[in-house]
Amino acid sequence: MTTSLHTLATQVVPPADHEVVTQFEQVILIVLVFVIMFGLGAGLTPRDFTSALRRPWGLIIAWLTQFGIMPLLAFGLVLGLILQLPNEVAAPLALGALLMGAVPAGTTSNIFTYFSKGNLGLSVMMTTNSTLWALLMTPLMLHLYGTRFMPAGLDLQIPVANIVITLVVMLVPVGLAMVIRRYHPNIGAVMELLGGFFGLFFIVFLVVTWVPRNWVLLTGTSWQVFTVAICLGLFGIAVAYGIARAIKMHPKDARTVGLETGIQNGPLAIAIILLSFPASPQLGLLLLVPALYSLFIVIVATFVTLYFRRANLAEEQKIPSLL
Amino acid sequence: MSEFPWHEHYPAGTSSEIGDLPARNLPELLSTSAAEDPGAVAFTQCMPNGMNGSLRYSEVERLSDQFAVYLREVVGLEVGDRVAVQLPNCLSYPVVAFGILKAGCVLVNTNPLYTASEMTHQFSDSGARALVIIDMFADRLPQALASTSIETVVTVRISEFFPAVVAGIIRATQRYWSRTLPIVSVEHTPLREALEAGREQIDGGSGLATYLEGVGPDTLAVLQYTGGTTGVAKGAMLSHGNLVANTLQMLAMCGTHLRRGEETVLTALPLYHVFAFTVNLIGFYHMRGRNILVPSPRPPSNLKRAFENYPITWLTGVNTLFNALLNERWFLDHPPRRLRASAAGGMALHQSVAERWREVTRTPIVEGYGLTESSPVLTFNPLGGTVKDGTIGIPIPSTTVRCVDDAGNALSAGQPGELVARGPQIMQGYWQRADETEHTLVDGWLHTGDIAEMDDDGYFRIVDRKKDMVLVSGFNVYPNEVEECLTAMPTVREAGVIGVPDPKTGEAVRAFIVADDPAPSLDEIVAHCREYLAAYKVPRSVELRDELPKSPIGKILRKELRTDPGASTNDPAPETAPGSEEASPR
Repeated sequence: MTTSLHTLATQVVPPADHEVVTQFEQVILIVLVFVIMFGLGAGLTPRDFTSALRRPWGLIIAWLTQFGIMPLLAFGLVLGLILQLPNEVAAPLALGALLMGAVPAGTTSNIFTYFSKGNLGLSVMMTTNSTLWALLMTPLMLHLYGTRFMPAGLDLQIPVANIVITLVVMLVPVGLAMVIRRYHPNIGAVMELLGGFFGLFFIVFLVVTWVPRNWVLLTGTSWQVFTVAICLGLFGIAVAYGIARAIKMHPKDARTVGLETGIQNGPLAIAIILLSFPASPQLGLLLLVPALYSLFIVIVATFVTLYFRRANLAEEQKIPSLL
Repeated sequence: MSEFPWHEHYPAGTSSEIGDLPARNLPELLSTSAAEDPGAVAFTQCMPNGMNGSLRYSEVERLSDQFAVYLREVVGLEVGDRVAVQLPNCLSYPVVAFGILKAGCVLVNTNPLYTASEMTHQFSDSGARALVIIDMFADRLPQALASTSIETVVTVRISEFFPAVVAGIIRATQRYWSRTLPIVSVEHTPLREALEAGREQIDGGSGLATYLEGVGPDTLAVLQYTGGTTGVAKGAMLSHGNLVANTLQMLAMCGTHLRRGEETVLTALPLYHVFAFTVNLIGFYHMRGRNILVPSPRPPSNLKRAFENYPITWLTGVNTLFNALLNERWFLDHPPRRLRASAAGGMALHQSVAERWREVTRTPIVEGYGLTESSPVLTFNPLGGTVKDGTIGIPIPSTTVRCVDDAGNALSAGQPGELVARGPQIMQGYWQRADETEHTLVDGWLHTGDIAEMDDDGYFRIVDRKKDMVLVSGFNVYPNEVEECLTAMPTVREAGVIGVPDPKTGEAVRAFIVADDPAPSLDEIVAHCREYLAAYKVPRSVELRDELPKSPIGKILRKELRTDPGASTNDPAPETAPGSEEASPR
């Protein structure tokens, strides 16, 4: 028993940070997200934002699911699964998982919301909102659930630069695109179409580049960790969507809240770990859940999007088959 | 009481007669707008994703000239030759329609949703010599053209006249993504080549100026097909004078709400339908407005970009459309700020919808009434005058409407009788159907077949339809036709079709059948009907019966089906036609 557990620990430990997300990959991702949001933003008008503000409930519910449900869900998964593992690996894994639950929504959520025919205006506002709140809520949630896993004297660093980048790569292109579309609807429509294509490419790119490069990581990881990485996103989407539907939110908004809640800002979690634990020998274990989450959320969200497109569009066909 | 109590209710400045027509024919009426402001945008086609193309007044005139010359000089058509047009709302529609009229030919509007057999009937009945069709539906042509006299087919792209890059993207999407471009196997000429051929002829000196020499108010302009009373589709003959008059009559009811050169109208209703043809196309072109053409208003979110991107000031529609918009959150949150008024026709405008519309948009909505046979407008509620919900308003200028008993005697206010009408907009008759014409046009009065009553102010209210016709979202469905289609199924022995109230489409088609054992499934019935009937004619629900009520001579009594408790709306388990993905109950 001891040997196999030992193998698990050693096999998983190796990655230096460049193997989780290379500098080059980060730049590519940021550029891609910028380009995609430049396209998708062309489908928006200021009306989409005022519409979302008219129903502040959407934003409030989203805040609650984001910082209420997700950290709790991560905590539950840690208790149920991660703590089954031996102590020396459980603590860093748990911390990584809890952090993953405490970070705000990522920009990827906007892309999936778009493909799910959700409310993109609401999605952009939710991402902005939760990202700003993260400065306060992410450390708070991590301390609330994770103090016992933390090394003594830990100084948790929230990288403001990453927060700013998240907001900039989302809001700047969206704003620019809205202006262009206002004066040239045709250019806007073409941009939106291209943004959609890039978005699809982006999703495929993430999966295709991730899986082979992290094959060792995938084969050497225990099922408990996999389960946590997959279920955090899946349950997050499901619970938030369920709540949103239960309180009778518009199906478009409910889909948005679901995706926005379940899809976390993986790169931000990774950046927080790299900044806060620069020389930790357990860096690999700390990064494991965020890294796996970042991979699986793309796959999970793809399936959820396919489901949303199928299940809900029929329901919204209010108009008879003729007019 | 005056014979014309409605005369006092016209909008300020509107007289009870429109006077002499200012133009001998439609092209003459329409040409003034381009002369006044050639650079103004006349038409903008807005796709659901916001992609768009526009034509200025000068371009519409130039292109329709080219098409007229093509028809006369290249195809060799003569004055009075029929040209069928089967297009959704798109920039090509005005170019083609005005071109046909400028050539002195007769426009035969055809629903693009028609099946091959419906097309064949309309083409052969009208004797059309040429057809202009959207390429997306051209796959039906080999079958549809078989027994017609159509020699020339012109195909149109949905993205015609769009900027090149956008047109290319739309084309590529149609071809490789949605795969909606069938291979056209019959000989055809793309519209752009036809226009190019016309342009070459003009450069070489054509007789364009002479085409309309003999075309006056009594010359036939449009054959507008309608089922009339018996259900066999027949062409209402609308002359240039009919349409010029009806345009001016209709505009007179708008008072100051419709300003020359300042309006942007959203055309969501299909232009091949007489209401949108006269009101939106001719009316707003004449008023030098900008027309926003939406190829398909379904689902209603298709209209979102049009409302966002253009300052819509006018909207015409049917109850279904207004109701659909009132169910859209984007519309409720941001109702069009520049909207001035909306006009409803085609089917009864529900009072609840009218009230809600006014509340949401804070602009008036008025209901009118008319028939294909009357170009179509007969009555309207006056904009700026007294509007009475639940009524079809007052007769428009130069129009006399009265309710008559079966002997043709005029009835007084409050007494229901068949609505008959007289005016310059009443059709010349049904195309090559003298007997039908005789029954419908009696001493110059158009007999509508609708039972109505007039109040003391001269406002009319429709009480009931004399005909058994079912009105689905403004489209006529004739039970005969659907019944015939149903009984053509080997397992269906008898069929009776009625309309039942439907909150969305006004009425929906319900079929009662007697069938052999095993009975066909709902899916099989629907699939069979889809093959021969346009979608709106396909029954929404089918009920299996042991027998159908019949008269002594064996005629199925639809009236009794309607009053049958099993046919009421609270029927516990009617088989309702589902979306195609739902399984059918057996």
